Amino acid sequence: MDTIRFELNTRPVSWEGQASARLLDTLRRDFSCLSVKCGCGEGECGACAVLVDGRLINSCCVAMGAVDGKAILTLEGFRETPQFAALNRAFADFSAVQCGFCTPGMVLAAHALLTARPDPSEAEIREGLSGNLCRCTGYNAIVNAVKAAAKEGLW
Amino acid sequence: MKAIPESLREALALRADTNLVPYAGGTDLMVRGSSNAEYLFLGRVPELRRITADGETVRIGAAVTFTEALESDAVPALLKEAVSRIAAPAIRNAGTFGGNLSNGSTKADSAVALLAADARVRLQSLRGERILAIDEFCLAKGKRDLGEDELVTEILLPAGGLENYSFEKVGGRKALAISRVSFAGVFCADEGRITKAAAAFGAVSDSFLRFRELEARLIGKTIEEARELKPAYLKAYAEKLELKDGRVSAEYRRTVCLNLLKAFLEKFGV
Repeated sequence: MDTIRFELNTRPVSWEGQASARLLDTLRRDFSCLSVKCGCGEGECGACAVLVDGRLINSCCVAMGAVDGKAILTLEGFRETPQFAALNRAFADFSAVQCGFCTPGMVLAAHALLTARPDPSEAEIREGLSGNLCRCTGYNAIVNAVKAAAKEGLW
Repeated sequence: MKAIPESLREALALRADTNLVPYAGGTDLMVRGSSNAEYLFLGRVPELRRITADGETVRIGAAVTFTEALESDAVPALLKEAVSRIAAPAIRNAGTFGGNLSNGSTKADSAVALLAADARVRLQSLRGERILAIDEFCLAKGKRDLGEDELVTEILLPAGGLENYSFEKVGGRKALAISRVSFAGVFCADEGRITKAAAAFGAVSDSFLRFRELEARLIGKTIEEARELKPAYLKAYAEKLELKDGRVSAEYRRTVCLNLLKAFLEKFGV
């Protein structure tokens, strides 16, 4: 057993297990972060995306040994912020959610994008969300929601 | 076993003494990986995490991510264009140059650009170091010239001479696409005479392709002379590009390779 220490949603945590275990499984099973979804399991869909030290990362492609000492943010932590409230409102206003499976990853991708580029062009939004697949809402509603959230000037 | 070295020396000692699998970004390893795998985590080794440049050489640490390279002023535009076409932001935030070169794929987009750029790979072990050209290191699909005690530590790129380039990736869609054909070209001329016309092809064969003996035919020629040579030059490439069927047919691969080569030459007036 290995001990991995990291920060999860602003709280320091310590975890015991194999360093090769997937971050995705650990977050869901041991920390009840059920917003983190397993879609494809190979880094192609973005449903498991979380922020690691502020960068968007697919948690299906990360071993626990690689997060030792890092700060991880999932939607469970992000939902306490004013930026989440703005995205939440915009996604509702533009009907940018249907089944919701992709939404946690999509929202974190939007937050990562807006943090880097507070006033993005449409092309930059599409690029920022290009690793997050949605198979029911359609991308236009999501892109419009991100555009609207950006206008609140919180990033 | 938790193997998270904090220095290159410690990483090389672990590499020599164990059978741990070197882990940088994880984006390929974790797809293949089993939970019983044992990794040597390289993300905290400072020597592998930096980009430095002097007048002659740009050095990119093997565990530098594609996003970090895109954010660096030192990284040549050719390489930035190649890595900007890899997957999507979340993968570029994790994926590394060392991993892309080492995992054994001939579809690695960064490798094609590095091959055209005459980049080299630094391999280190407790015994010493070796510096290899990209096509000396990437021998074939799944085959790399890497000793069991060696780590890829740096990519070395020439600091100049890469300004005139082409990079093209043909994939099924704009993002998250695996290359069907990838192409990188570097062109240099001095006082009206061609000094370099490097062309590298990826994803079309069991190895990355570059035909230096064909490139030599253009060296020393004026643009006008090269233009006259062009039909014979493209024919010579057509004969060299004896490809096999893969995800796409051999015929498609060859046609696209030749079109991209022609567009590259024409971009620089040939």
